[in-house]
Amino acid sequence: MNNMNFREREVKITYIKEALICIAFGTAIGLGVYGIFLRLHIAIFGWNLGLIFAPLIAGYAETYLANKIIGSDIGAISAYILFIDTTFYSFILKNPTLGVNIITFGSIAIILQAAFPTLVNYILLVGGLGIVSYFLGIFKRVTTYIYVKFEYIYYKHIIKEPYEVVIETVKIFDENESNKRINDLDFFFITSTDVTDKPITNLGQFHATVILEKDKRLVHADQKKVEDTTLYLLKEAKDDCLIKLAETIKSSGGNGIMDLEIEYGLIGLGGDSYRISTMGMGIYLE
Amino acid sequence: MILTSANTLESREIIDYKGLVTGESLIGSNIYKDFFSGVRDVVVGRTSQYEVELEKARNAALKIMEEKAENLGANAIIGLKISYDNLGGTMGNTILVTAYGTAVKYE
Repeated sequence: MNNMNFREREVKITYIKEALICIAFGTAIGLGVYGIFLRLHIAIFGWNLGLIFAPLIAGYAETYLANKIIGSDIGAISAYILFIDTTFYSFILKNPTLGVNIITFGSIAIILQAAFPTLVNYILLVGGLGIVSYFLGIFKRVTTYIYVKFEYIYYKHIIKEPYEVVIETVKIFDENESNKRINDLDFFFITSTDVTDKPITNLGQFHATVILEKDKRLVHADQKKVEDTTLYLLKEAKDDCLIKLAETIKSSGGNGIMDLEIEYGLIGLGGDSYRISTMGMGIYLE
Repeated sequence: MILTSANTLESREIIDYKGLVTGESLIGSNIYKDFFSGVRDVVVGRTSQYEVELEKARNAALKIMEEKAENLGANAIIGLKISYDNLGGTMGNTILVTAYGTAVKYE
């Protein structure tokens, strides 16, 4: 038994030694290649091509040797080492003020492609296709379709309630009606901090708040409609908040407000509701 | 239409207070604007795209407010206040621009 463990350990140590030799070989070849590229100034737009070829050749050399002496590849570790070395040397030591331009970003993309082909291909395919599908509206249509299907199943089989398709329509906010509603209250809303030539009785600070719950649905057929609806609801809530403030001041014997402030913000867990606040100094204006 | 954040109009007499006028405008999500502002966040610098959007939204809010003042028969707005409030959104990019003031008539 002990003899067996000893043999296994010996095989393991031999494997690690051989793997380290392969990595060292690949790294040395890669560094050599990078040195040649630097020495011969093989560059495009000032950007040395050794940054791409050195990790590639390092990985290739390591894999070649590993196949010869171990019988399988060991993951092209020297390519990663070269990638880190050359990037550190070129981007940090050699050229710390490297400009932010398309060549730099292109170069970084190529280096990453050489060092992490699977990841970069995934980003290119998923990210690239994602952006194209976003602009064509395919992604939105697919996610909306899936959402509607799930919503139907949820209503029919889980909460067992009739499923109704809500057609999102945007109401147009009547600005003139709102203007009349606020200014026909027989109440002075004054945003300035002084009213000249009129005697004023100060009644103190007043404020009112209205909380408006956000739409909790994650997917909407049309984001623009959601934004228009939100604006509509915010305007309506602001009017309600002003009326609430006026009523509070009226009940205290006032007929106006000075230094009026209107504030909007988020409130609740994760900001799940809108807060509309109005405040100012309640007054009696003769 | 005179717009001022002050309490009075210099060298002009206010003869009537017409009431409160407000204007609101919302900047929503936009993949182009958000992406480029994100890039600007990384490389540091001004995001002109956002500046343009904010200016458009501010002008829209001011226009609504001025139209309301005109409807009330005013020719100036005093105590003007403009605020920008972040209302969250997908990437924290829903911004409400509000303009409000007191509509007055001067001689």
